[in-house]
Amino acid sequence: MRGLRAFVCGAGIVNAAGIGLEKTWEALRNEKPCLKPLSLFTVSHAPALPAGEICEALPSEQTVPRTHSLALLAAREALSLSPSFPEAIVLGGTTGGISTTETLIRSGETRPERYRYHALGSVATYLACELKCRGPVISVSTACSSGTAALKIALEMIRRGQARIVLAGGADALSRLTYYGFHSLQLIDPAGARPFDLHRGGLTVAEGAAFLLLAGAEEPPDGALAELVGSGLTCDAYHPAAPHPEGAGAGAAMRIALSDAGMTAKEIDYINLHGTGTVDNDRAEARAIRDLFADPPPLSSVKGIFGHALGAAGAIEAVVSVLCIARGFVPANVGCTVLDTGLGLRPLPRGKSGKIGAVLSNSFGFGGNNAALIVADPSRPSGNAERARVMQFDLLGTACLTGAGLTDATLEKFRRGGELGGRFDLATLGGDLFGGSLRRLRRLPRITLILARAAQKAAGMADAAGLPGGIFFGTGWGPLTETNDFLKQLFASAEQFTSPTDFIGSVHNAPASQAAIRLKATGPNVTATGGDYSFEQALFSAALLTKEGDDPVLVIGADEHHDILSPRLDPASTAGDGADGGAAFILRPRAASTGLRMVPAFLSYVPENQDAIPPLIEALGGPERICNQFAAVFAGIPASAHPRGESYIAAFLQRTGFTGMVYDYRGTTGEFSGASAVAAALAVDAVSRGVLPTHPSGVGKEPLGGKGILLLGLGEFVTAIGVMR
Amino acid sequence: MEDFIGELKRKIIDTLELADIQPEEIPTDGVLIGNELGLDSIDVLELVMMIEKDYGVKIENREVGVRVFGSVRSLALYVDEQRRRAGR
Repeated sequence: MRGLRAFVCGAGIVNAAGIGLEKTWEALRNEKPCLKPLSLFTVSHAPALPAGEICEALPSEQTVPRTHSLALLAAREALSLSPSFPEAIVLGGTTGGISTTETLIRSGETRPERYRYHALGSVATYLACELKCRGPVISVSTACSSGTAALKIALEMIRRGQARIVLAGGADALSRLTYYGFHSLQLIDPAGARPFDLHRGGLTVAEGAAFLLLAGAEEPPDGALAELVGSGLTCDAYHPAAPHPEGAGAGAAMRIALSDAGMTAKEIDYINLHGTGTVDNDRAEARAIRDLFADPPPLSSVKGIFGHALGAAGAIEAVVSVLCIARGFVPANVGCTVLDTGLGLRPLPRGKSGKIGAVLSNSFGFGGNNAALIVADPSRPSGNAERARVMQFDLLGTACLTGAGLTDATLEKFRRGGELGGRFDLATLGGDLFGGSLRRLRRLPRITLILARAAQKAAGMADAAGLPGGIFFGTGWGPLTETNDFLKQLFASAEQFTSPTDFIGSVHNAPASQAAIRLKATGPNVTATGGDYSFEQALFSAALLTKEGDDPVLVIGADEHHDILSPRLDPASTAGDGADGGAAFILRPRAASTGLRMVPAFLSYVPENQDAIPPLIEALGGPERICNQFAAVFAGIPASAHPRGESYIAAFLQRTGFTGMVYDYRGTTGEFSGASAVAAALAVDAVSRGVLPTHPSGVGKEPLGGKGILLLGLGEFVTAIGVMR
Repeated sequence: MEDFIGELKRKIIDTLELADIQPEEIPTDGVLIGNELGLDSIDVLELVMMIEKDYGVKIENREVGVRVFGSVRSLALYVDEQRRRAGR
């Protein structure tokens, strides 16, 4: 079967230039910065630093946080010409509802309902709800490459036949966290971003949202603006905040994107630079481009015009790339007046009209997360490749951490029917992990590193540098301790002082980047976040971004409990005893796996009052196949998803006639977002031993009869993962 | 000045959570960043904040930072000089 191509059939954007594509287009033609001193909130120093702020009133800002509001504006524009609802949404971002959360925390608000839009993942589910999408919804947070990473995931959804119409992009609003955070890193240029200028002094923080509406087809549909033809994701595995000095990972991302598109460097007509205007980024990026392009095509950064909208930047620049192709124009590198000739590149001083066949757009982020995307003229001839498959996984190694302890302690207690909730004292695990170099790391990165190392050991690949290749991390809430500490110090000092360590540590992908640095994992490094379904989103991302023959990947689901923030943010956590932890798996991607394996089977956002069960049963191959394959169901129903979850499981049992055991695992694991990852580790143990352990909640010491265990997530999402042998 | 150097060393240990390090293990005149203590650019920025918070002295750009954080002594001299200038 031939794979489908991903055509851009709609685009929407809001950024410092204003609301809508035409505002962005005018700004690109005007060649003037849209940056001015920040006015969205009052800052402690004068004058306020320049920012790329949207000054128009936002329609839904009274009811949802600013990021959500920006996202909906851009998404509606992207969908404005489409007769159909999106079948899937992939959204990149780093801030979610933090701008609202900051105000609430400062005022001492403790009521959880006021924080209901805090989560990064809530932006995508808000869109799904508003835009009537019921299908896969994935939120990806890889710092400043988030928007580009989201487009790569969407591209693979289309290529692999998971959805025909996908809305993908990024959204981030200005917040105190990012404004003061970059300020504390001395990375903001008081003169506004000057990419590639000799005197450049840093970036300009900005906000915005941008989406592409992608349609899967064999030939370009009428009105197609462009085609996404390839993308590459890599990780420097070098430093939590600084890029690799030689741009090694950046260069690798561009090479992979070219190979993914089946193109050579000579076929690129324009490079849209990441070009933030920081000393280090521009130097590393220039070096990587010079290594790859003997004679670089015209290139420029648009961050001197719009600023750096962080997780939205990659999507904003994808829309710019689409405009370049659709309207035959490449923009100027605004902001650079004295070129840094030492960089060896000459970004365009003025814009240029002419036919553009293919654009390479770069986005790099904290944690050394690199992404490159290639957008091409849709009429360009393309040999449709063989349709790629969504991967299944051979299980090579498993680790888990719960209140009962690390893997063996947890599994022994589980086999005896004991409870696993609570928080484990990580200090008792010994300080020799990674040579004791855990200074500056709080609870979530420590949990993540402990799990990563333990899974690697379990797979018999300890200390084998370079394995695993990629890391896929799911976290519902990210590093809460760092987030809390940053904001606490900010407000306690009347916004005078913030810790750069806490800022870098607070980003959702910080734990995964720490794991990459220590495991030297230079493949894709993707952090997915979707509340109680974050591990599932990470596993699906891994299944979409790998192919047969790739190196094994590390997939982790983990969360920390924080005494102040968890009860406010996570509606399920108040029902439990403050449990946390997670699990990690070393997985080998296979088109069809046969041994001990993990099979991501279903992931769908489900609006309230919708019946999610028939599509789930269909995806699992029908009732007969479900009953033949699985001896037990591990059901994950977050405390916040009652009674909805129970009605789903009842419908599942009724429609399938499934008579095996149903085990509601959150009673054992405790209530936290990483519980589904822990449940997966428990299922792996049971399936590999062939018996289910004794448990007071009804699971007997029962032989599985060679069958597997089906892990279901039941609530705001419905998810299914099979563990079989 | 030696007392002030000792005070700065204790603050460096507290700020950077150098749990197992004693003040005398931090060199006074040798390089502070890139030695066996394993401090990096983020630690420098953390110290920039500490110096501003505790001594009211700003170190606002990388060029000044590189010079000032050459050693604990250069840091002490800089902070001392800036405070005198400001009449504190």
